[in-house]
Amino acid sequence: MDANSLAFLAAGLGAGLTVIGAGMGIGRLASSALEASGRQPEAAGDIRTTMIIAAALIEGIAMFAAVICLLLAIK
Amino acid sequence: MSQNNSNTKLDLIDTKNSSNELELQEHDHSHTDSKQGHEEQEGSIFMQLLGKLNDHDALYIGAYKITDLPKIYIDNGFHFFKNTKAVKESGLYTVTEHKGHKSIVNNETGLAPAWDLSITNFVIFQWLAILICVAIFRKAIVGYKKRPGKAPSGFQNAVESIILYVRDQMVRPNIPSVAVSDFLLPYFIALFFFIWTMNLMGLIPGAHTATGAIATTGGLAIISFLVINITAMKVSGVGAWFKHLLGGAPWWLGFIMVPIEVVGLFIKPFALTIRLFANMTAGHVILLSLLGILFFFKTLALSPAITAFSLFIYALELLVATIQAYLFTMLTAIFVGLAIGDHAHEHGAESHAH
Repeated sequence: MDANSLAFLAAGLGAGLTVIGAGMGIGRLASSALEASGRQPEAAGDIRTTMIIAAALIEGIAMFAAVICLLLAIK
Repeated sequence: MSQNNSNTKLDLIDTKNSSNELELQEHDHSHTDSKQGHEEQEGSIFMQLLGKLNDHDALYIGAYKITDLPKIYIDNGFHFFKNTKAVKESGLYTVTEHKGHKSIVNNETGLAPAWDLSITNFVIFQWLAILICVAIFRKAIVGYKKRPGKAPSGFQNAVESIILYVRDQMVRPNIPSVAVSDFLLPYFIALFFFIWTMNLMGLIPGAHTATGAIATTGGLAIISFLVINITAMKVSGVGAWFKHLLGGAPWWLGFIMVPIEVVGLFIKPFALTIRLFANMTAGHVILLSLLGILFFFKTLALSPAITAFSLFIYALELLVATIQAYLFTMLTAIFVGLAIGDHAHEHGAESHAH
């Protein structure tokens, strides 16, 4: 296995693992947000805003990894 | 046969690429020894498509080149070249191309020019975004002048509601002192509208996303970094800013806390940069890959599914464009609030405007 193929393999594995992490994180976030909205429907607006901010932050970290994987695959 | 395929794909994508930066045909043939058959053309087509998302030397609308853009260098003196060909012909610089990237090297020093202030494709689109923002604000002001003191309506109402959202939901809750938040409010409004306009412009067919370059988002993050720290220094004083680097721990823990806090200081704008850049570019890459699948398989049966999925991704990108603009502004406001900290209450500076 030369360095090129290892780089492609690493890029694929890295992207997959990243998606697992981000998916689990955002899934837990969404579940607790929905539960909290169910308990207190008048706070639903605030909860929705906070949920979106937190989701974007978690996705930001996933994007770091995506950018690194893309760099591996391209170079 | 395989060369026929690559030519038709190129014709569909670039119709007028007579410029020297897109030497695609030669590039295709040079890859035949490193990878096999179909795969290498697919790889290089993908790379070319990705290359379309980068910065260009010329003004492109879609795949059509409108005009070459000047190159400006400050490198032992001010140089102004009309286009890249003039750079080559001047004899001061060597222009080499490698995998679609151009590298321009000074002939004497062997390095890239010290300051590259060239006007590129993204710069033109940023100027366009600025013009659009100014047009929006001017149109909103017209209503303000015509109906002084009365409730806003129409376009003015829409713009004012967004501005009030920025003020009441993003800036005021996070920055404790009203004077500072009113002082910084124009910056946040401009930041939000600028990033939003640039993100949305990237979704128009033919236009390019200026925030899809680390240079743009890095510049915005650097300005945010300066705003955060200079505001903190002005409100609480330079000494208090240095004390913040201790992070609230006693002074003898300084040797651990200070490096961590300094890293945290720089990683916040870095995260802002990468977040905006990666979100914008990833959406376009996904869209290009999906549509590329259609060209790769060349069957009509796939097209309903792929078109539906592409539409979904396009709608998602619309959402992401707005959310990322909102997030950048919100996080900058939060960081300003964090940097000012609780010192505003000690100083009593909140009632004094600067």
